[in-house]
Parts: sequence; structure tokens; C-alpha cells
Amino acid sequence: METLADFDVKTSVRKFITKSIGIGDIRDDEDLFDSGIVNSLFSIQLVTFIEKSFGLEITQDDLDMDNFKSVDAVCNFVRRKQGK
Amino acid sequence: MNLDQAQRDRYREFSDFVNDNVTPYAGDWDLHQQMPRDVIRAIGREGYFGAIVPEALGGKAWDFVTFGLLNEAFGRGSSSLTVLFTVQNMVATCLLKWASAKQVAKWIPPMAKGDIVASFALTEPNVGSDIQSIGTQFESHGDMLVLNGTKRWITFAGIADIYLVFGKLNGRPIACVVEKDMPGVEVTPIRDMLGFKACHLAQLDFHDVQIPAANVIGKAGFALSHIAPLGLHYGRLSTAFSSVGLIRAAMETSIKRASTRVVSHATLNNISSIRAVITEMGISYDTSLMMCLNAATAEDNRSLQAIEKTILAKYVASRNAVSAASQAVVISGAHGCHEESSPTARFYRDAKIMEIIEGTTQVLQNVLGNYYVNRAEPLVLN
Ligand SMILES: Cc1cc2nc3c(=O)[nH]c(=O)nc-3n(C[C@H](O)[C@H](O)[C@H](O)COP(=O)(O)OP(=O)(O)OC[C@H]3O[C@@H](n4cnc5c(N)ncnc54)[C@H](O)[C@@H]3O)c2cc1C
Repeated sequence: METLADFDVKTSVRKFITKSIGIGDIRDDEDLFDSGIVNSLFSIQLVTFIEKSFGLEITQDDLDMDNFKSVDAVCNFVRRKQGK
Repeated sequence: MNLDQAQRDRYREFSDFVNDNVTPYAGDWDLHQQMPRDVIRAIGREGYFGAIVPEALGGKAWDFVTFGLLNEAFGRGSSSLTVLFTVQNMVATCLLKWASAKQVAKWIPPMAKGDIVASFALTEPNVGSDIQSIGTQFESHGDMLVLNGTKRWITFAGIADIYLVFGKLNGRPIACVVEKDMPGVEVTPIRDMLGFKACHLAQLDFHDVQIPAANVIGKAGFALSHIAPLGLHYGRLSTAFSSVGLIRAAMETSIKRASTRVVSHATLNNISSIRAVITEMGISYDTSLMMCLNAATAEDNRSLQAIEKTILAKYVASRNAVSAASQAVVISGAHGCHEESSPTARFYRDAKIMEIIEGTTQVLQNVLGNYYVNRAEPLVLN
């Protein structure tokens, strides 16, 4: 079941991503990198966003596309890191 | 913009250092197309190469505003020297973020002291702006990588000890630290550039260079999305402030010349059109510096818009540097066109380079276009 905290994570991740790419209607499981809709600065801005918004530090061990490729991927990554 | 007392004190300290150790010699370095090791060592002793490096790694852990002021102060003296801060910090920021603790411990402390000079090796003879198309190849052989390819226009590669080299491993972007003494590394100096003549520009050819896999930074697949763009971002911050320093140098030289050069029984600074040109320089200086400080403050606050603000600052400051340097030559007349008589010719040549490195004016304009068009909102208050 989606908890309130989960809902907050998803809302803020969606908001950041849609604002960055300038497209509102993306699916939560849509691969942002495969579809080529992100620009060259998006990746490092996403890192700053995750670190700053959720108080996490992303290191080389986290460099895995499965952590960043979609709204769902980022949310799962944040929850996993927060759970540690 | 309010600087705090520590920032002001450090800025004065940087300016004093530049007045004593840089400005009097910058013309000679340019003429002979070399940067003496002595000045690099002297900067190392002051700890300036470690400006943004954590104290535990031998750095100063200064904020980015102070780092910017360092680049402005040095930029006023020598663009060729300041670009050493640019590239050293491009490599340092990539390592600090994405290298392992072991890699950081190996390379960052000597870089912070200036004992090791590092180059950022991305551009190739056939690929500049379009970084995704680089062709440098890494192949995996057990726990070694084998590197083949050519990097061109690499700042300070002529004297660097290590290079952060970007290439592809089975089509996946990868970044790796290559050491100058590794067999198969060939360094060819590039002389007679338009500007930045003393920055030891070089071409690097790699012929079957064997590199331990332990030198890979981050992971394969991420070098052109997470590593290079980060280095380029900090490079732009440095170049933006360096451009502002160049504008100041052009302005000061012009003001001095205009107050001493007599035409028709009066000094130049009595002529309204000359005053207007100097006023334009002052406006260029102040607006560029404000944008740079806005960008550095965004970086200090870890603002999500720090990258675009830095692009904006670099775009504006580099273009303003070109026009200020051009006007400075005009105000000095023939005197300003002669390398031995005036530094303005050097400013003019160096300024144009500011528009090319870390993203050309056109490429940055595209990025800013994406921002403004998608967001439909201005940047500064964001
Ligand atoms: C003094 C100096 C020092 C340098 N130091 C380094 C270094 O340390 N490390 C390193 O890796 N590189 C370095 N470079 C290389 C520099 O980064 C490149 O020159 C720069 O990225 C531009 O690439 P290019 O020269 O191949 O030009 P090109 O990419 O061929 O561009 C040519 C022209 O096309 C325009 N253009 C290209 N793409 C676009 C686009 N998408 N939209 C609009 N216009 C476009 C450009 O603005 C330019 O006007 C240095 C260059 C100089 C001159």
C-alpha cells in the first residue's frame, strides 16, 4: 500500500522531473533516458535534487540506471536509501 | 551583493599575491608560451589549488563565492594561469563526487598542494561540442584496461602529471585517470594559439596504454551524463569569474591610459565618447560580477538552478570580456596593439578563448533556450 510518505516522495519527484523536462504528461514508469527527452544537464541536476530533497548522499556505488531512469525508479531508489 | 569579512580579506590576499607574482610577469609568460613551475609551486604553497577541497584532504574548504573571487583576482593578472585553477578543479570536483575513497586519498591531496597538475581530457580532433560522439576507446583485459585514441586542445596537458580521460568501453562512456608516465602516452605541445598562450596546451595520443581498472572513476556508462557535465559546470564557474577579472584588467588599463594620454591639450578621459566607452566597461564589469556571484551563491546553497545560473554567468561574462578587451585596445590606440607596450593586445586575444572553452557561446545559448522556453520564467530569483 502507498503510504503518505511514499505519496510525498512521488509528488516531489514527479514535480521536479516534469519541470526539468518541460513535459507534464509522462508515465511513472516511462524510461526518460531511452526516450531521449532529458537534456544533458538533467542527470546531474537529478542527483542534486535527490540529495538535497531527501538528505541522501549519492556515491559511485549508486551509479545504476535502474536508480534514475523513471519516476518510479527514482522513488524506489529514495525509499531504499532512506530505509538503510 | 554583500561579501562577508572573511571573503573580503581573502580577496585582498589573492589580489596582493597576483600584484606581486602574476601581473608583472604575465606578458612574458605569454610571449614565451610557458608557465614557470615556480609560480605554480608558489600558488601551491598558499593552498589555492585546494580552495574547495575539504580540509581533511589538505584543502581550504572555502565557499564557492571565495573560489570565484580567487579566479577573478587571478583572471585580472593572467588568463593562462587562471585556467590552471579551472582544469585542476574540473578534475578535482569529478573525483570528489564520483571517485572511491581510495582514489580520492591518492590524488586529491597532492592536487590540492599543486604537487600534481591534472588535465581534463575530453575534446578530440573530430569532436568538440558534441561530447557524446567521442571516439576514444577503452578495452577490458582482465583487471586492466587498454586505451587508444587522441585528445586535442587539452589545457596544461603539456606539463600535467595525470589526465582525466573520457572515452568508451564497449560503447559505454567511461572516465579514467591516466598517468603521464604510463607506456604508450605521447604528449605533443600545441603552440601559437590565439590566446591562453602560456597554458601548455597539448595533444595526447594513447597507443595501447595499459591502465589498472582501479583508475576508473565512477562506473562505465556514466562518464558523459554524471562525470564530465559536473566538471564542465565547475569549469564554467571558474571561467566566468576569470572573464570578469579580464574585464577589470581591461577597464583599469583603459582608465589609466585615458587619464595620461594627451590629445589636443587634454587627456582622453575628458572626451565624452571615451568616457562612454569606459562607462560601458564598468557596467559590463558590475553586471557580469553580479551574475557570477549569483551563480556562486546558488552553488553554495546547492540550488537546483546553480547549473543554469553558472551558464548564464559564463555566457554573459565571456561575451562582455570580448567587448571590453576590444574597447581597451581602441582606447590605447597603436600602443594598445603592441604586445610590449600594453597588455591590452593579450587581453583581446585571451578574451575570445573565454567564449569557446567549457561550452561555446552558441552551445550555452541552446541550453539557456531550453531553460527559458520550457520554464517560461526568469532565472535569477529561482
Ligand atoms: C585554449 C583552449 C583550451 C582548451 N582546453 C580544453 C581542455 O582542457 N579539455 C578539453 O577537453 N577541451 C579543451 N578545449 C576544447 C574546447 O572545449 C572545444 O574547443 C569546445 O568545446 C568547442 O569544440 P570545437 O572546438 O570542436 O568546436 P565545434 O564543436 O566544432 O564547434 C564549431 C562551431 O559550431 C558551433 N556549434 C557546435 N555545436 C553547436 C550546437 N549544438 N548548436 C549551435 N552551435 C553549435 C560552435 O559554437 C562553434 O561556433 C580547449 C580549447 C581551447 C581553444
